[in-house]
Amino acid sequence: MRHAVLDEWSRRSSPLHRRDARVKIAALLVFLVTVAITQANFALLGPLYLALVAAGFLWARLPLGGALGRATVVLPFSAVFAGAAALAGDPHRAVLLAAKSYLSAAAVLLLVATTPLPSLLRGFEGLGAPRFLLTVAQFLYRYLFVIWEEALEMRLAAASRGGAGRNRGARFQAAAGLLAVLFARSHARATDIHRAMLARGFNGRFELLEEPCLRAADALFLLPAAALPLALRLALGGAA
Amino acid sequence: MHIPDGFLSTPVWTAMNIAAAPAVGVMARRAQRGFDHERIPLLGVMGAFVFAAQMINFPVAVGASGHLLGGALLAYTLGPAAAAVTMTAILAIQALVFQDGGILALGANVVNMALLGVLVAWLPYRWWGAGRWRRPAIFLGAALSVMVSAAAAISQLLLSGIPMPEAILGVSLGVFAVSALLEGAITVAVAGALETMQPDLLRKPAGGSFAVGALAGGAVLLAVVGVLFASARPDGLERLAEDIGISEQASALVATPLADYEAAFFEGEWLRKAAAGITGLLLIFGACVAWGRFAARKRSA
Repeated sequence: MRHAVLDEWSRRSSPLHRRDARVKIAALLVFLVTVAITQANFALLGPLYLALVAAGFLWARLPLGGALGRATVVLPFSAVFAGAAALAGDPHRAVLLAAKSYLSAAAVLLLVATTPLPSLLRGFEGLGAPRFLLTVAQFLYRYLFVIWEEALEMRLAAASRGGAGRNRGARFQAAAGLLAVLFARSHARATDIHRAMLARGFNGRFELLEEPCLRAADALFLLPAAALPLALRLALGGAA
Repeated sequence: MHIPDGFLSTPVWTAMNIAAAPAVGVMARRAQRGFDHERIPLLGVMGAFVFAAQMINFPVAVGASGHLLGGALLAYTLGPAAAAVTMTAILAIQALVFQDGGILALGANVVNMALLGVLVAWLPYRWWGAGRWRRPAIFLGAALSVMVSAAAAISQLLLSGIPMPEAILGVSLGVFAVSALLEGAITVAVAGALETMQPDLLRKPAGGSFAVGALAGGAVLLAVVGVLFASARPDGLERLAEDIGISEQASALVATPLADYEAAFFEGEWLRKAAAGITGLLLIFGACVAWGRFAARKRSA
């Protein structure tokens, strides 16, 4: 499954992996904003931005082709709107839409592929996001594939019971029943999990093995990482 | 519909992030109230359920199928605040891990699906979910939630100046209408099955006056249709804004502090559009608030 690869990538070791999550998030935000406000001279700036992201993947010693290929998941959605823009007689905007969404996705991927999710969410907490929300998100990710597998198994079981029958209304009802059972099971599972966690002393917060702390190397990373795309944009992107 | 980065213009994604951040904070506090951290596993696992629900296909027509989107079902089972937090967590994980929706655009996606979508689903259920209108209320809430999310997303894209020819706009609205009806049908079926199996999983609706519910629903519909119309054809509102002088004031307000840096960027076409759009939003919001006050006063009188 796709997630397993990302999890594995994010737990490797490289200078980029070792940087504090907060500075990586800050650098990503600067990059995303820079891409968002680039209009003119994109033919030159776009490839330069892409080169920056690619350099990041190489520095993190991650497979460049696999990573850049993975970022193409945004393209089907972008293609619809790019096509509409091209039809409306605005090919420049069509290219911008597709290229910007791809660049942004690749940059987010670089962050997620070099930061394990618990550290990443802790980084967002350090930047002011509500802890309750982030803990829910972490829980969601922890159980995502558990419930997913359960749904797959239930679907298989329903198919073996003859769920692919001819009557559409009956199949609709069967699918609804299946979801209701999945819902009730997930609900019951959540109760069990909560009891088990209470028994082990959960206090509403996930602990990291290492508390994050900012080092000089993090500052040294943030300066060029944030300044480079901005400088490119200011030097080559013109006023508009 | 998850908007990726690179689609929204700077004023739109900034405004949406500014709107979403405090709203999510309030929702998180409300969802936590009186529950300590007891609800964290529940919300997380139910978010995972919504993800996994995509695996279960519902037959629609020959060769076509759909799946549950889940915002409405979460609202009916967890309550609106917890549902909004769960949907926000889902959107965050989708944006981070699955590159489904952007990071800068997260605010917009949260406003569309986690805030508007969930609240709109909750309104009919809250007012009509108790009596004989229960099933229509569940259907209406789920259908509205999809329709309102989609209309809000399209409005934001239009406001960002993404060209959408009339034909494409019409087709996509049609597609969204079909998925809204499908979401309604699926949610009614799943809620019905849950009720026969374990009725305590669904929240008790507060009930109340039919008329207030109708007013609230009408206000929401008016707002969505109004915003969509306003962003598709900003000319009318723009003229209105120009007549009142808002457009000039707004451009003076925004342009002055940034004049030295990127004057050209902040001038011209899109600012007038954005000002017109935001003015329209404010007008509609004001109308809704006034309407709500009026309804509440009538009720207590």
